[in-house]
Amino acid sequence: MFVIPIFIEAGITGFESPAAEYTELGISLDELIIKHPNATFIGLASGQSMQDVGIFDGDLLVVDRAENVNTGDVIVASYNGTFVCKIIDKSNRLLISASKSYSSVYISPEDDFKLEGVVTTSIRLHKNKVELSRCMP
Amino acid sequence: MYALVDAVAFYASAEKVFDPSIRFKPVVVLTNNDGCICAVCPIGRRLNIPKFQPYFKIKHYLTQHNVVVRSSNYELYADLSERMMTVINRFCDDHYVYSIDESFLRFTGFSNIIDDWSAYGHTIRQAVWRETGLPVGVGFGPTPTLAKAANHAAKKLSGFNGIAVINDESSRKNILARMDVTDVWGIGSRLGKQLKFMGIKSALDLAQQNPKKMRRMFSVVVERTVSELNGVACLNWDEVKQNKKEIFSTRSFGERISDVTTLKSALTTHAAIVGRKLRKQRSLTKRIVIFAASSPHEESYYKKSLLYDFPIPTADTSVIAKAVSRVIDDIFKPNVRFYRCGIGAMELESELYQQADMFSVSEDKPKIMQCLDEVNKRYGVGALSLGGERLSQNWNMKRAFLSPHYTTRWSDIPIIKCD
Repeated sequence: MFVIPIFIEAGITGFESPAAEYTELGISLDELIIKHPNATFIGLASGQSMQDVGIFDGDLLVVDRAENVNTGDVIVASYNGTFVCKIIDKSNRLLISASKSYSSVYISPEDDFKLEGVVTTSIRLHKNKVELSRCMP
Repeated sequence: MYALVDAVAFYASAEKVFDPSIRFKPVVVLTNNDGCICAVCPIGRRLNIPKFQPYFKIKHYLTQHNVVVRSSNYELYADLSERMMTVINRFCDDHYVYSIDESFLRFTGFSNIIDDWSAYGHTIRQAVWRETGLPVGVGFGPTPTLAKAANHAAKKLSGFNGIAVINDESSRKNILARMDVTDVWGIGSRLGKQLKFMGIKSALDLAQQNPKKMRRMFSVVVERTVSELNGVACLNWDEVKQNKKEIFSTRSFGERISDVTTLKSALTTHAAIVGRKLRKQRSLTKRIVIFAASSPHEESYYKKSLLYDFPIPTADTSVIAKAVSRVIDDIFKPNVRFYRCGIGAMELESELYQQADMFSVSEDKPKIMQCLDEVNKRYGVGALSLGGERLSQNWNMKRAFLSPHYTTRWSDIPIIKCD
């Protein structure tokens, strides 16, 4: 005897969802914020000098190494052994703080300096996260 | 054309990516349990720090020269390796990841697009450096073995700055003549000794041998190597990577252990690792070796290893763990300070060609194992494990100089100063 299998729509009881044809992928923060996943890392801001561009102590910084660096960008650099977040002035070799009470730093040839990447996004957590407890002040 | 791209002192370089304070210092990385030195950064090489030396032997020398010592941070290396490989992948459609820090590229039909391989190598090198912070060397050659030789030249010989290309007779001869025969891909130190005894000292000497003679004297692999060194491609990385014929999981303890329960849980964990590796390559084992030993440096050295045969080949973690339970009392000896233990699976068979046994039924539960593997794949190894595995944590790896897991743990992300 030959059996011809016929698949019928089982599983749905009652009415089929009218939205079934319109399902999309949910929105993802990574997709919005991280343009180059391989070149991106996340760090934790520590200090007050960048408050005037909206980066506060304890904020998360999304740093993209693949992004082009232009004067006026908020960047992360390694400067004499530490990561720093500043505004870059390429033509005058200056690291500028956003807050006026901090003076600019001239990058001299003797300094160990390397641009790490551009801060494309900063994130403020309005409620403490236990995951970040080590770094939180 | 082939290319081999690999990172310069990968583990040591990876340590420098998220720690700018050590970038201009000599850095060494230690192996499992901080036993030996397995990576030395270029600055450290200038201090002539020997690789594969036991750490305790040169500890004093390292302190004297302010050398930064780190334990192996596999969590960080795995993440950086994946990033590096994804960047490299952009530059060729045929990409084979050969190890954690090496990958081969095969360029077919690129001759019309690329006329300057050296410039292309620089582009790859710059992209990896910029996007991951890792330094890589790139070697090009008409065969995988020559690409590997060019890569060696790019990093070790003077006159090359991270890139080397073998694309004609003069570049081939120039590089091979300056290369020791033991630096040729696939020529180990023992084989190298025999070759040198015959007067074959450089890679070029080897290239000038008669391939048939090399086959008669050594093996078909050496014959192929000779052909490859002469520009005839005959090694294929798909062939190179065959299923393993034996699978071992062994490790020395972070601290010495002397109670039977801890030893058993350590062996059970090895059983789980061996089972996982067997299933991954779709093999079954008929026979395993289970062993435990004290340190050979200790006065009364103790080692016991037992073979255990399965009536029916298995890849089931719990079946292998049961074997451990059966033999543990024969392996354990009171008052011995155990230093290492392990399990090795031998006589592997393919899962596909199994003859059913009329009298005994397999105890394997493939569905449970599949579930176990999938849970652990999704949530990380160890998310789901046998009850016997985790009775004690202290036999786990000793990593006294471990850096933070900068990219995989929220608590470890790097601090960026805004002062």
